[in-house]
Amino acid sequence: MEPLLTRYVREPNAFTLDFYLRHQGYEGFRKALAMTPDEVIEAVKASGLRGRGGAGFPTGMKWQFVDKKSPNPKYIACNADESEPGTFKDHLLMERNPHLLIEGCAIGCYAIGAKIAYIYVRGEFLHVQEVLERAIAEAYARGFLGRNVLGSGFDCDVYVHRGAGAYEAGEETALLESLEGKRAQPRNKPPFPAVVGLYNCPTAVNNVETLSNVPLILLNGAEWFAGLGPEKNGGPKLYCVSGHVRRPGVYEASMKITLRELIEGHAGGVREGRTLKAVIPGGSSVPCLLPDQLDTQASFDGIQKAGSLLGSAGIVVLDDTTCMVWLAENLLHFYRHESCGKCTPCREGTDWLHKILRRIEGGGGQLRDLDLLSSISGNVAGKTLCAFGDAAVTPVLTTLKHFRHEYEAHIREGRCTLPAPWRATRALEGVH
Amino acid sequence: METVTLTIDGRQVTIEKGKTVLQAAIESGISVPYYCYHPGIGIDGSCRVCIVKIEKMPKLQTSCSTVCTEGMAVSTRTPDVVEARAGVFEFLLINHPLDCPVCDKGGECPLQDFSYAFGPDLSRMDFPRRVFDGDGVRGDVDFGPTLMLNRQRCILCTRCVRFMRDVDADAQINIIDRGYGSEIATFQEEGVHSLISGNLMDVCPVGAITTRDYRFKSRPWDNPLAADTICTQCAKGCNVTAWIKAKPEWAKGSQLIRFTPRLNPDVNDYWMCDIGRFEYHWIEGERRVRKPLERQASGVQQPVSWDDVTAKLCDRLAAAGTSNPDGVRFLLSAHASHEELFLFKRLTEELVGESGPAAISVSWRYREKQQPAGTKFKVPAVDAPNVNGARMLGLVPGAPGDEVRGADVTALRQAVEAGRVTALYVFDPGPDGSLGDTTWIVEARTRGPLPLLIVQGVLLTDLARAADFVLPGASYVEKEASYTNGHGRLQGTTRAIPTPGDAMEDWQILVNLGTALGVAFDYKSAAHVRSDVTGRFSTITELQGLSTLAFNKPMEARHWLQASNPSERWKWDFMFQDLPPVKGNVDPTSLPLPPGAIPLKEV
Repeated sequence: MEPLLTRYVREPNAFTLDFYLRHQGYEGFRKALAMTPDEVIEAVKASGLRGRGGAGFPTGMKWQFVDKKSPNPKYIACNADESEPGTFKDHLLMERNPHLLIEGCAIGCYAIGAKIAYIYVRGEFLHVQEVLERAIAEAYARGFLGRNVLGSGFDCDVYVHRGAGAYEAGEETALLESLEGKRAQPRNKPPFPAVVGLYNCPTAVNNVETLSNVPLILLNGAEWFAGLGPEKNGGPKLYCVSGHVRRPGVYEASMKITLRELIEGHAGGVREGRTLKAVIPGGSSVPCLLPDQLDTQASFDGIQKAGSLLGSAGIVVLDDTTCMVWLAENLLHFYRHESCGKCTPCREGTDWLHKILRRIEGGGGQLRDLDLLSSISGNVAGKTLCAFGDAAVTPVLTTLKHFRHEYEAHIREGRCTLPAPWRATRALEGVH
Repeated sequence: METVTLTIDGRQVTIEKGKTVLQAAIESGISVPYYCYHPGIGIDGSCRVCIVKIEKMPKLQTSCSTVCTEGMAVSTRTPDVVEARAGVFEFLLINHPLDCPVCDKGGECPLQDFSYAFGPDLSRMDFPRRVFDGDGVRGDVDFGPTLMLNRQRCILCTRCVRFMRDVDADAQINIIDRGYGSEIATFQEEGVHSLISGNLMDVCPVGAITTRDYRFKSRPWDNPLAADTICTQCAKGCNVTAWIKAKPEWAKGSQLIRFTPRLNPDVNDYWMCDIGRFEYHWIEGERRVRKPLERQASGVQQPVSWDDVTAKLCDRLAAAGTSNPDGVRFLLSAHASHEELFLFKRLTEELVGESGPAAISVSWRYREKQQPAGTKFKVPAVDAPNVNGARMLGLVPGAPGDEVRGADVTALRQAVEAGRVTALYVFDPGPDGSLGDTTWIVEARTRGPLPLLIVQGVLLTDLARAADFVLPGASYVEKEASYTNGHGRLQGTTRAIPTPGDAMEDWQILVNLGTALGVAFDYKSAAHVRSDVTGRFSTITELQGLSTLAFNKPMEARHWLQASNPSERWKWDFMFQDLPPVKGNVDPTSLPLPPGAIPLKEV
């Protein structure tokens, strides 16, 4: 499939409005303005566009749930807090093709009856913020944003808000809290943001890639979009392939593609003399898949059928040099550090799990620790306020399920039995 | 009221629409634990111990954040709920110091009680516990002028954060850092500076926030009695509980050990201010008047017996009254109850006639308190409980409900300073200063034209030191007396402790004095006085409640039944009637042994 979202990312001026306008820029927005908001939502529904942030929820439905009867203003909050380990697609889009996102935001605002879209950018993305702000200024100057956009009578403002750097700020309600100037901690759901969101007003929270797909739908039609992928998995998809492959990077493909085509074709396969051990297909928060599952279709439904989740499509490839105990310890170090601390199981559980994993990894573990690990993970999963808890224990549960023998070897030998020359001899203690 | 009906553990429960499953469970006596929820603060959903199973929902739900719907089927006792809940309790305790033996909350601690009832028997945590500021009580750090904070004990329920933000409208507390390193903190460790800071000790479900006043002074099981009463330190009339410590007579220290607020949605909700909570030490303090005093010719005040003081006082008063009936004046504090105000009024009427009450002035202190503009607990500026009562009895101009400003005693002051007053009888049963400025009286008696000053009161204030006679009365926790608060609500105090020394309840002093002066008072009790008030003021409907006003008695304060925290107490009153909380049918021999334990052999 020809790249659609990333077609021009290598062009030197792809981020400018002039370049964008030469390549059908804001045409989708013009078409949307000629339709009624409900027709726009219907089109997005018909296209089968699913949220690219991780959950894969149908975007058109999300927009439909926004409480239109509410007397309060409505908002679009674009989730650009791309923090999932192994995920690096959104910042590519924002850096190289910012107008696509801005156009998507404007169409989204029009569809749900909002006048303001906020782009919540991850704290570390200072350069992205600069690119976006320049692009927004261009859009205002040419009348694509502001009062009475393109003479349609529709007002639309887009603001960029850069967070303070927290994984949890990517959780939709925590993102709203952070936008409101509070600590990035999740809220209770229900009520969902579509009813009570930003400043207690109806809000649609959409991922960058999701909104970037919207102009394509309006431009080329819902049917065309739906036809790009397998059933219920329409449109192009960005895959972030990282880990032990020859050519890590962002690859755009139809969701008809298989993991094997992505890893062995696009990314060039694992390094010389190595064999594949496991694949984490959707960022660090999903269960891993084994080499015999490589022919799985890399779609939301395909990967779910295989026992994992497409998530943010951050495909982490692990070859035979990877110690899975170390992997779990490494990821739990991340989750322990990023837990917001609001609810008990996650705050206490991630730290406890990390301590046990570090002990096993350091050679001090005991066999009963393995039962303890799965028991603690079970006490965290499903008991937390947001999905972070489930995400945090997944690395433990999935490595325990598929690679228990490695844990046992660690405990038995008191050390790691795998040759891993690339590995740091000491855990990066105290490093961020 | 619109209601919904649901089943909890197979029991049908009907509850007001809009309430949550947790509220439904609590109100129907079904035990569901909670920490972050507090009925006076609202829902957070963060502690996760209130999880229950709700039919048709895939995951366990926090009952505090789930609104009841018609036909909902909730279970709190199914094995998955029990196991999940125990898991959360294990998490709560893995870093809790378990220093219950030296913790002030021990014995009335929701973490203790709920962990015992719902938590696992053993902890599997074998790593060192998290320490922030130093182990054990060394971890206590200053948390403002009234409080101490022990971060080790904190379970991060954020009740204190939300209390300051939502109730006091001044978000002084928040959490710094995140995740495992989260800790409760104030900006630059300044601590909490608020007029209602003491409530933070109440809302804290563990011993993390303690008050400097109460900490280390007592344990719950050392406080055998608790008296539900009202606070009379201002016009609000907060419903409070006075806690009484068991103490041998010879031992130092006081019996009155603390005040805690008591739920009354119409008056004070779950809260009380720091003045009412902390400023009670005068009641059993060194300056308390315990015997009648009479000034000798030498100028020294000597303790005398009631008989002597009454006789001499009558002589002096009668002499003053005979020579100039207008020269005898009364200055009453608005801390005087209806009974006392009424008796003063009757006394003047009997002695002088209908114009008698004109000799009575009523005074109080008026001071605006510094509070955040949006606070939901406003402390009134009027530091007296019964200005409205004095109005109803005709001693202060205005009707109940009118705005109250400072007291006006300028006429009395002018008369005293002009030498037109030959005897001044002051009644001051409140804390020092609650009568307002009295230096002019002291001045008039010591260097001015006032020949006779009588003070009936509780403290040896500068005013009492200048008096010719001091009559020891009772404070508000030593008598049954009634007051009408700033909103016209009639309430009564409880006799929680006896009066000290020879001090007497004030109605008794007045009746004795009246009788000695030849007035035919035949009151046998304060209740007797109250019934006369209702009879003589039958046109004032607000006073008719006096005939039915019920007074509490100090109750046995089994700590299980009456936790200090008003929200907890509500829970104990409803939930754990047959206490103490016990675990289910557990065979101790079936429990796994802790590592290293030696199994007991059957003998």
